[in-house]
Amino acid sequence: MMKEKGWLKKLKKILFSPVGTIGLFALAMVLLLSSSVGGAQAALTFFSETYTSRIQMYDIGVTLQENGERVSWRDYGSRADGSWQENTGRLLEHMLDREDGQEPLQLGKVYKEELNVRNSGTINQYVRVSIYKYWMIKETDKDGNVVYVKNEKGEDVPSYKKMERTQELSPDLIKLHLLYNGCDGNPDFKNGWLLDEGASTDERTVLYYDKLLYCADEAGEGKPVETELFSDTLSIDGAVADKVEQKVTKEGNYTVIETTYKYDEVLFQIEARVDAVQEHNAEDAAWSAWGRRIHVQDGVLSLAD
Amino acid sequence: MKKVNVCLTALAVVLVLGAGLHNIWAYFTTYAEAQGGYVIELGDRTHFEERFSDWTKRLAVTSKTDSQPVYVRAKAFCGVEYSLVYEDAEGKWNLNGADGYYYYSDILYAGQSTSELLVKIDGIKLQRETDPQTGETIYTNDSLEAGDQFNVVVIYESTPVRYDGNGNPYADWDAEVSTDVESDPGDGQGGGE
Repeated sequence: MMKEKGWLKKLKKILFSPVGTIGLFALAMVLLLSSSVGGAQAALTFFSETYTSRIQMYDIGVTLQENGERVSWRDYGSRADGSWQENTGRLLEHMLDREDGQEPLQLGKVYKEELNVRNSGTINQYVRVSIYKYWMIKETDKDGNVVYVKNEKGEDVPSYKKMERTQELSPDLIKLHLLYNGCDGNPDFKNGWLLDEGASTDERTVLYYDKLLYCADEAGEGKPVETELFSDTLSIDGAVADKVEQKVTKEGNYTVIETTYKYDEVLFQIEARVDAVQEHNAEDAAWSAWGRRIHVQDGVLSLAD
Repeated sequence: MKKVNVCLTALAVVLVLGAGLHNIWAYFTTYAEAQGGYVIELGDRTHFEERFSDWTKRLAVTSKTDSQPVYVRAKAFCGVEYSLVYEDAEGKWNLNGADGYYYYSDILYAGQSTSELLVKIDGIKLQRETDPQTGETIYTNDSLEAGDQFNVVVIYESTPVRYDGNGNPYADWDAEVSTDVESDPGDGQGGGE
């Protein structure tokens, strides 16, 4: 049996002593932490056009479009610091625009409201949209006075709050015409959007797009970069004006019947939120990010029961 | 001591693997959202004007500046001993024989007024004379005596403009908003008692 050398024996003694073990553990922790710090520093330090041109980064990005224009987007950038570009726009902003200014909103009139989704990232993705529509009323304090807040221009404007569901003004009076497979009772209509009936209410509709959305670099024939429309028009049902209260007064020789509308100055609101997940391992990604079981077979998404 | 070593080693392994698992569980996801809406202005506020002269009522309706667009209609009633004759110089008041209303053809937008609809009270034979004391022109009627009264009742109605699915405006008079007016002929010359 060979006799161990003196320095090896000492090393072994140190390593197997409690102090040695704890020291090594601490060293491991330091190394683990410093490795992530080093990565972050490297991303910040080694930045050049040559460097970025050689690195293939995979970034997800999605855009909500209204009448062919980008409204809101969130595109993760290729920098390793996790930065992204985003914009949250307003829907319906130009709905009442006319050449000579804005016209008043007209009940029953059908306005163009074409909404769809575009892949604005560099990886392929599956998307879903959640559309909300609801009424808001003026907020009042405990004495019944309207509460005012400052708008972007510094003007005093009434504060609005969401109307209680128990009130009789139905979200159905906000007629955002949604487009999905079988909509309007027409089984022959197919545009790729699937209605998630279990997640939808009279205020909220959830739609899943059954086709993969390709990034711009890979898009082409049969490989769409944007979805079909999931809505095309918006109108407000004239029935909102049917609830009236009348006051009769005498003015000299005249009898005046003044009619006031119960829902005068209510505000209608629509919201659209787009969610996107990566193509690879999409079923697990959707379950993790959306909490919804989906199936993907041959690139086609379907909803699990 | 060996147990402590084993535990620390195991903990180190779990931590190192845990750091890697973060990458395994991360998925590429993103989202975008937007919202928007408008306040519904439902008030249609109209004001009516009547002028009485020469046994003629001149009717006009004005939409107030904060009113939404409306359609307007009107009709008048009187006793059986007289009859009413309507005149419309601009040709914008159209009679619907079925209900007897005169419908104003244009949409009345905020701040706009209708043209005048003239309602002449017919059947009263008038004689034009000059008042010997004041020199003013007066109208007399032998069949009328002091204390006689008559009423002409005018009903004005307005209803908010509605739109069909193609964006064409229409009036829903079944959901009408009405302003009923009952008035004496006024204190114009020749009228009243």
